[in-house]
Amino acid sequence: MASTTDAERPHAGTITCATCDFHAVITEPNDAIERYRRHRSVTGHDIKWERTALDAGLDTDDVESALDALGDEYPDGVPLGVLTAALSEQEVTIEATLDAIYDLRMAGAIYEPRDDHVLVV
Amino acid sequence: MTRWNDGHDEIGAVSADITEETNALPAQYFTDPDVHEMEKEKVFGRYWVYAGHANRIPERGDYFTRTIGDRQIIVTRDDEGGVRAFYNVCAHRGSKMLDDTPMTDPGSLSRITCPYHLWAYELDGDLASTPKSFEEASLNPDLDDDAVRELDPAENGLMEVNLDSIGPLVFVNFQDDPDLTLAEQAGSMKDELEALPLGEYEHARRYVSEVECNWKTFSGNYSECDHCQANHQDWVRGLELMESELEVNDYHWILHYQHKEDVDDEMRIHEEHEAKFYYFWPNFTVNMYGTADGYGTYIIDPIDEGRFQLVADYYFRDSELTDEEEKFVQTSRQLQEEDFELVERQYEGLRSGALAQAQLGPNEHTVHKLHRLAQEAYEA
Repeated sequence: MASTTDAERPHAGTITCATCDFHAVITEPNDAIERYRRHRSVTGHDIKWERTALDAGLDTDDVESALDALGDEYPDGVPLGVLTAALSEQEVTIEATLDAIYDLRMAGAIYEPRDDHVLVV
Repeated sequence: MTRWNDGHDEIGAVSADITEETNALPAQYFTDPDVHEMEKEKVFGRYWVYAGHANRIPERGDYFTRTIGDRQIIVTRDDEGGVRAFYNVCAHRGSKMLDDTPMTDPGSLSRITCPYHLWAYELDGDLASTPKSFEEASLNPDLDDDAVRELDPAENGLMEVNLDSIGPLVFVNFQDDPDLTLAEQAGSMKDELEALPLGEYEHARRYVSEVECNWKTFSGNYSECDHCQANHQDWVRGLELMESELEVNDYHWILHYQHKEDVDDEMRIHEEHEAKFYYFWPNFTVNMYGTADGYGTYIIDPIDEGRFQLVADYYFRDSELTDEEEKFVQTSRQLQEEDFELVERQYEGLRSGALAQAQLGPNEHTVHKLHRLAQEAYEA
């Protein structure tokens, strides 16, 4: 069976940094998180989801509620890339989502069964 | 004869003579993850590497952080006004101390304090204080307070990193006893750049791009202009490419590009009526455009064997750009994007594994130097 090429694989969406004027296609959702952290560490700039191909169908902009809603679909942990993409459709930035996740984790409200995958306790 | 990966041809070391067939680094050195790991030590752990611009930390306690390979450092201004670098690692139990703080958004502190157990360090790296729990053994029934070892401030301070500068450009070296001084590695470039008023210019813009190719692929592309006529048509319109010269030195090379029309002296910070692009091994460039009262720098930082970050900084008289300067930066960005297309395309071909060893042309002597230095580093 022929292997799937990058071009054929479904994309999670595109991310952008308005300051640096780049637009990058993201295939694995958590690559957006890795890219966000790397870019922020050398620029301080925010990266945002520009378009997402994930149809999460959220009707909330509350991070904990969103995570709870997505948890059924991702029983091994919701990838932070999926969560940030889903919340971006509710106008919540990656920065705001990750900040909220940090606060929730520090409050013991969520846990991280795998690196960068989270679930509500 | 081209050396394909077809089972017939053997690759060779990068020849000293550019006219020989094996004058380029074999393709595997661009695509092998083990080479990337090796370069962390043999390249980025051995030579002087750019850390940042001293203008960004003018006051005592100002600092930024920088990651080079796996090493994370703090670059700060000490009590005496000097710039120093330390590993961003606590002497107690090795915790990373400060959050990543880019040069473009520097921080300020009076002491460097580890958030884990609150060991605090002076700006010269000496241990300044520890909490009382490190001075007495109240929780340990087997130990008297008198037996608690006193911590000497200097012997329990931060691990300092060798640091030296070319004007405001700060470089670090991770060797205990560097093989070369910065002056030796930079050669004539140090004198040339220090003769220019680089410190009078303000940081104005930083653009960071991630590119899907090995860092040396981009470095090679930066170092030659045989590709310019076909791929940078807007830019070369103002240049006399045939009048240009590529000058090679021990650890740096300079691309001199002659402008077709003379440019006002006010539009250059160097004397020569040309654009001068300095490539400083291993991964830093200084770009004297010759058409703007400012300059730029590139850091070509590997992420892994197949990706790098281009950190492009621009310096002008004022951090607020004029319309003309904005337009200039946009032109420079256009050049970058054109080059990204080229190097990603080249890397896609290299990664396919068909080519075992490239071959360089006679005017790619700067690329040859890059490949020779890489080979020299790997063999060291």
